[in-house]
Amino acid sequence: MNKPPHHYHLCPLCGFEFERTETHCADGCPMGKFCNLIRCPNCQYEFPAEPRLLGWVRRLFCREPSKATQREMVGLHELEVGEQGELVCLSCEQHARRNALAVYGLVPGIRLVLQQKRPTFVLRVGETELALESDIAREIFVKRIPHEHAAATAGGVTPA
Amino acid sequence: MKGSQDTATLNGERAAATAQQAGIVLVGNPNVGKSVLFSKLTGKFVIISNYPGTTVEIARGETRLNGEAVAVIDTPGVNELASRTGDAQVTCDVLRDRPAATIVQVADAKNLRRALLLTLQLAELGRPQMLVLNMMDELDRCGGRIDIRKLSELLGIPVVPTVATAGTGIHLLQKNVAAARKASDFVAHAVVPSGDPGADYDRNVERLKRVNEIMGQCYTLDRPRHPTFAQKLGWWATDPLRGTLLLALALYFMFWFVGLVGAGTFVNFFEEVVFHRHISPWAIRAVDAVLPFPHQHAMEPSEYKLEIPFTPTRGIELMTSTRETLAPKYSLSAGATLSWWQQALRFIHDFLVGEYGAITMAFSYGFAIVLPIVATFFLVFSLLEDSGYLPRLAVMVNRLFRGMGLNGKAVLPMVLGLGCDTMATMTTRILETRKERVITTLLLALAVPCSAQLGVLMAMMARISYPAAAFWVLLMVGVAFAVGWLAARVHPGARSDFIMELPPMRLPQFGNIAIKTLARLEWYLTEVIPLFVLGTAILFFLDRLDLLAKMARVCEPLVKGWLGLPPETANAFLIGFLRRDYGAVYLLNAATGANPTLSAHQVLVAMVTITLFMPCIATMFMISRELGKRTALWITLFIFPFAFFVGGVVHRLQHVLGF
Repeated sequence: MNKPPHHYHLCPLCGFEFERTETHCADGCPMGKFCNLIRCPNCQYEFPAEPRLLGWVRRLFCREPSKATQREMVGLHELEVGEQGELVCLSCEQHARRNALAVYGLVPGIRLVLQQKRPTFVLRVGETELALESDIAREIFVKRIPHEHAAATAGGVTPA
Repeated sequence: MKGSQDTATLNGERAAATAQQAGIVLVGNPNVGKSVLFSKLTGKFVIISNYPGTTVEIARGETRLNGEAVAVIDTPGVNELASRTGDAQVTCDVLRDRPAATIVQVADAKNLRRALLLTLQLAELGRPQMLVLNMMDELDRCGGRIDIRKLSELLGIPVVPTVATAGTGIHLLQKNVAAARKASDFVAHAVVPSGDPGADYDRNVERLKRVNEIMGQCYTLDRPRHPTFAQKLGWWATDPLRGTLLLALALYFMFWFVGLVGAGTFVNFFEEVVFHRHISPWAIRAVDAVLPFPHQHAMEPSEYKLEIPFTPTRGIELMTSTRETLAPKYSLSAGATLSWWQQALRFIHDFLVGEYGAITMAFSYGFAIVLPIVATFFLVFSLLEDSGYLPRLAVMVNRLFRGMGLNGKAVLPMVLGLGCDTMATMTTRILETRKERVITTLLLALAVPCSAQLGVLMAMMARISYPAAAFWVLLMVGVAFAVGWLAARVHPGARSDFIMELPPMRLPQFGNIAIKTLARLEWYLTEVIPLFVLGTAILFFLDRLDLLAKMARVCEPLVKGWLGLPPETANAFLIGFLRRDYGAVYLLNAATGANPTLSAHQVLVAMVTITLFMPCIATMFMISRELGKRTALWITLFIFPFAFFVGGVVHRLQHVLGF
């Protein structure tokens, strides 16, 4: 729940920022869990983690990471209630969990509406209302869809 | 599995020809109305509710197609064919075991995307299939439109629109079963087959791309601007504040209807008026006439008060009446000696209408006390089920349940357990991991009283003060959480993710509720009444052989020393092994009967102990069927000592608690 102050990884290739450290890596890699490469959930580029000390130096002297609202892609938990998003990727490390979401239609490109966050996340995909735990919601990355662009297609009716 | 799929592909053409003999299998996503369709097709009743996972076992029936009888099989809902939960496994097994059967996929027309994902997976089996778009009325209401002819053309299989609850489209469906065939290559070969289970996700993504192509050609949505009242109610039900209020309201209504009207007004009527004044005296006279020996039955007063209750102590009194009635107690006529023949008559007489008689005790417990309570509970429960409220309750309690190594879904069997623990134990199959099933089953057996028991306990509660009643409720909840928490730590394995679909809120249909309540009652009575008769017979023989008193003496250290109860209550616990509500009824008689032998504090101790008992012998059999003999044995070995332990602790705390 309460993670230490946001530690974002910044993808050196596409500039995408993301939170998780245990991002999903390719199957059958002989390195297994000894692999310390991080994979960007946006462009799949793999890069080594930034040493902690370097991170401190960078945060001390360089500009702050951009605010969540300005970033193009956010975790589902960062969306406001009633806001729409387009699913970009699922970062779940377990196949089963990703597939469990996929059978409800949660695959990249789909539009969804966040209906509530507490006590449990509820989102709407098409005509399906789906309840999710916050742990899972954090692994769903979406692109915000501004209200003026939010056509009725994604599900116009939302709770006030 | 794979092998038989391949042969099915090879024999696809022949299978289509023999489909009518092989029967049809209803497959589909959860909660799309397969069971409604099944009962419309076959005229057979199956339990139908508005939440996913109602069907955990397959149901078989027959329907007539073109004058020929064809077997129909209803299966538990699946979201995809690669199975994770037990019930998805059941569906896959059914499909594998009947390679020649026609697959009739039932879909919720509102959720076409998910249905088509399953259609694609079914198409890959290469078997004759067809698609039924159910709930067309709801699709209409939410502004959706499906071009059925176009869809049928794209899929290459018959597509039939229905509204199963209203019976619309059933004939069209029956007519089209014969036309079921293999799906077009466009849908059957959307992905490259692969045996790697890790690729499930990627392949589903591929399939969904194809699904989107199909939907783009035949599906349009023009959503209404304003949400309906049912939709709003659904949102309120999962809102932290309004949801809690709604829950409180639902609980109060349930308590009022089951606890006060069912266990109060109805039980009073059946027990006092129907049994005490009419059936028992009539049975006593009848038995006396058939089995004569010189004796005289005592008369006892019967008081009856009819009232409409509001709270346990207040209500509107409508009428009262008092009269004398014939009691089972009797004395032999003065100076009479019984011949062996008369002794035998007396024995049968006592077995039927004596103090532990089948009619005077077992039937009056079973029909007058348990039946009204169970009936009112199942009525309320059916209402809750059909409204779609229960999955929303799961959303509300998910956080709480996490502490017990469970997720919110476990609330469904728990609430059903308030009706009947045996039924609920079977429903634990909707949970995904064994750990969750074991913990939920343990908690059901330990701390969730079934409706019959709950009613009796509520009646006992009338004898204790409000703080004591609150203490009992909190203790039961606390014990459930503590045991759940411990079990979650001790039992290996993981809990599953909480991903749950919320079905739309609907207005329950009167017919379905009535049928469902009756079906559950029948199930309950055929299980309960024989056990009651058996329990009474055991008590009767123990009493005859003078073992009852001896056993009470053996149990005295435990019952009197440890629990501080009168030694006679040992009978209640003894019979509580068979059914705990029966034990509770026995205690109720001791607590509130003609001359109560229990003090308020003793009532509390007895309530705590009997609540924590194993529900009944049927539940024990169900546990060993679902989880295996070893687990059932462990659960039993834990529950009985634990129940006595907690009861004793409560007794020791008398001075601290002050009640």
